[in-house]
Amino acid sequence: MIEIKSLSKEFKLTKQHRRELGESFTDKKSICAVNDISFSCKPGQIFGLIGPNGAGKTTTLRMVATMLKPTHGSISVCGHDTVHANQQVRKKIGFMTGQTALYDRLTPNEMVQYMAELHGMKKDLFFQRRQSLFDLLDMHDFADRRIARLSTGMKQKTSIARTIIHDPEVMIFDEPTSGLDVMTSRAIMNLIRSCKDDGKTVLFSTHRMGEINQVCDHLAIIYNGELYFNGSLNVFKEEMTQPTFEDEFIFRVEGK
Amino acid sequence: MKIWIIFKKELKDILRDRRTIMMMIVFPLLLAPALITVVSKVQMMQMKKAQEKKLKLHFIGKEYAPNLYQDFVSSERIIMIPYLQKDSIQHYIQDEFIDAVIEVSSHYNLALGQNKKASIKVYFKGSDSMGITKKRVEQIIKERERFIINERMARLHLDIDIVDAFEIDRVDISSSQEKIGKAAGGFLPYIFIIFGFMGAMYPGLDLGAGEKERGTLETILSSPASRFDIVMGKFLVVLSAAIATSFIAIGGLYLAVQQFPDIPVEILQVIQDVLSLKVFLMIMGLVIPASAFFSAIILSLSIYAKSFKEAQSIVAPLNIIIIFPAIIGTLPGIELNHTTALIPVLNVSLAAKDLVAGIIDPILMAEVYGSLFFLAGLSIWFCVKWFNREETIFRN
Repeated sequence: MIEIKSLSKEFKLTKQHRRELGESFTDKKSICAVNDISFSCKPGQIFGLIGPNGAGKTTTLRMVATMLKPTHGSISVCGHDTVHANQQVRKKIGFMTGQTALYDRLTPNEMVQYMAELHGMKKDLFFQRRQSLFDLLDMHDFADRRIARLSTGMKQKTSIARTIIHDPEVMIFDEPTSGLDVMTSRAIMNLIRSCKDDGKTVLFSTHRMGEINQVCDHLAIIYNGELYFNGSLNVFKEEMTQPTFEDEFIFRVEGK
Repeated sequence: MKIWIIFKKELKDILRDRRTIMMMIVFPLLLAPALITVVSKVQMMQMKKAQEKKLKLHFIGKEYAPNLYQDFVSSERIIMIPYLQKDSIQHYIQDEFIDAVIEVSSHYNLALGQNKKASIKVYFKGSDSMGITKKRVEQIIKERERFIINERMARLHLDIDIVDAFEIDRVDISSSQEKIGKAAGGFLPYIFIIFGFMGAMYPGLDLGAGEKERGTLETILSSPASRFDIVMGKFLVVLSAAIATSFIAIGGLYLAVQQFPDIPVEILQVIQDVLSLKVFLMIMGLVIPASAFFSAIILSLSIYAKSFKEAQSIVAPLNIIIIFPAIIGTLPGIELNHTTALIPVLNVSLAAKDLVAGIIDPILMAEVYGSLFFLAGLSIWFCVKWFNREETIFRN
């Protein structure tokens, strides 16, 4: 379960930032990446956060994963506050991005073991879990090969295995299919669905409306750090005034 | 505490990297000995060559100083070039057609007859053969001068000893260990520091900026490891790399020194003393906090950088900042005192010099240890703080 209440995040701007961002930022001391958003994701549901690049999706997910601290508001993951009980939160989550984020010089076996050790898994449980994951993802053939030598698909499987090795209650996917081919994207979408089937809480960000339609139960539209819609996919579909999801999305963020 | 887990993983990771292995093992093991061997062998060869070389000399005014001329003619490994344009002799020397020219004035005999000084001009190229040409020419002239002085003294019925008013008996109370230690002791920590820095640099860059660039930082930040555990695990790997590289460099040097058959016994004795457990542990006591200091600095800068390339450009100037005080420490005349004991790197160099020489002042040594441990602690604290800043790790 993820509960987000009145969440805001501001980043201080340095002189260099102001210079790089252009004239409109000359007098600004900070930039608001997320502005007073609230939503909740329940176990057994997939919550999609959709928005264009720079909308505040990654910042929100990083705050949920305790990498960033909120400027205002609060986030609770499985009943733990992300600021005051951050370590408890991190034990409950699995975080995956579009980048495979693997160590090239390790093998999939070592990578998965490293994450299991960081999560304090007992050896017996780890061996059992690894066996079932490697069976499921068909990873045995390349489990002892250096990650640098693996194909993108193999890397993505390794990335999945290292994310879910500790069987997290909450899964956070930050644009997991970005830059991936159709086959690998499909594997990721299947993983997201299976997480739902296992009763996990899934928070998933994307900028592709099609993916939301494929897997999500609930969605929130985020643009310039603000929420433009927060509700179930069915409600969103019922309220649609435009012919396609993309058109509806543009209509909502530009028409507000 | 997940420090040990992170340390093990990061160590395994960097030890599988060819570039790290090159910087950490191959370079220090081969480069320092190769440099020393090549430089000293070339130097020895040049000196031998210069000593054995047949000098080509020209003598102007042999009719005024036939005896001196004869001295040159009868000397071994000297060829006299008879005819040369006097106004071109500097060109001849410059172009290495001849090695030196001796010019005697027409008043040579008159001056000597009147018990006065006769002037002799020697033209030579000082930049050649480590001054050996000049030495060999002057040696012959000195011998002739000694002969003339003896003749004068005999003519005046005076004892030759009258020329010298004093007989200085130099009693050097410093031991050979002290002398060599003072001269070369600073070189040892210099090797430790330079190679330690080199060894720490690549892992430091890889574990900070490299991790950001690969996108693996988020993986580890979302794990239950605390930021303190992450940064300490990484720091310990960088420190281990620094210390291991220093050891390998010193090991390589030791092996290189063993290759020289004609090392004086005193130097071998100093090497043995340095390798004694007590001195070695004391030097390591200096090198470890110094390495910790720059390992933490490298890691902090690397964590700050957006990419590996940026990290390289930030860390590279540090080389000079580290090398500069280390070089100053090897210079003669720079001593360990209450001020220099507080200057990082320089204090290591100077304290190690005194340690090797066996003349360490315990108060100054305590000051050096105190300052080094304080700086190491401060830089580690800064590194942890720095890693906790969102603005640093998510600078993009």
